[in-house]
Amino acid sequence: MGHAERVWLLLIALTLAGAWFAETGHAGWPLTLLVAGLIAVKGRMVIDHYMEMTRANAHIRHVLYAFATLVPLLVIFTHGWGDLLRRLTTLN
Amino acid sequence: MDTMDPACAAPLATLPGAKIDTDNRVPGNSGIWVGIFCVLVEFLLLFIVYFVAKAHHPEAFQTGPDKLVTLAGVTITMLLLTSGYCMVKAVESIRRDASGAAFRWIALAFLLGCGYPLVKYFEIRWNIAHGIDGETGIFYTVYYYLTLNHLVHVFWGLLGLAWVALRTSRGSYSSTDYSGLEAAAVYWHTTDVIWLVIFPFFYVLR
Repeated sequence: MGHAERVWLLLIALTLAGAWFAETGHAGWPLTLLVAGLIAVKGRMVIDHYMEMTRANAHIRHVLYAFATLVPLLVIFTHGWGDLLRRLTTLN
Repeated sequence: MDTMDPACAAPLATLPGAKIDTDNRVPGNSGIWVGIFCVLVEFLLLFIVYFVAKAHHPEAFQTGPDKLVTLAGVTITMLLLTSGYCMVKAVESIRRDASGAAFRWIALAFLLGCGYPLVKYFEIRWNIAHGIDGETGIFYTVYYYLTLNHLVHVFWGLLGLAWVALRTSRGSYSSTDYSGLEAAAVYWHTTDVIWLVIFPFFYVLR
């Protein structure tokens, strides 16, 4: 089995594991941290192995890495500090 | 005729000194990356809309996924990831000057990608039959807006795949000139990356 096949299999396995975890009734912090982790890990796998960013221009790579890092952090922030976000985004 | 940086001409595995930060290659071409950065900014803004809506309506976002068909989201994820894998193989094939194999991989990627709108069509039919439309609640408004917006970008990607499939079948790409094919591939992978965020937002996270 080649490298691309191993990456593909792992991506599929992580997808099924995440969906299974949610379907078995988990919620709250455990699910939030799992989802944030899966977004970060799966995003990096596609960026590094499908898009070959480890060998790409550093500016392009950094933008993609920032995207795959920022979004999971926002998932955690919204879950843990939702009240703050609500206050910050309430008019009047 | 596509042009290509000489550093991109050789198969990656044979590039001398292939170390992080030193190759500095631009996969595909510069133009596609302008488009990809625009797409990333667009979806980052849409994700912020999701986070703000969730902060204001936590109950709606906690119960919302229960009414959606998780299998549809999982199926779309598997279709996109498998289609993306096919494009990886297509790029690998053209680097070996195996145009026939590259064409078959692109055709398979295209067919799998077409499964996405098909699944989406049945999912939306199911939703509407069960009274879930854009006005059912804030969660479903954001769900329709984000997923349909992503679907539009997938359509652009499918058009790109169809175009590079046609050009590959005509022998337009080779191991020294495949930036057009690679540009379509990286755009297609970008739709993967974005879907990997959208999928847990609406089908998994509670």
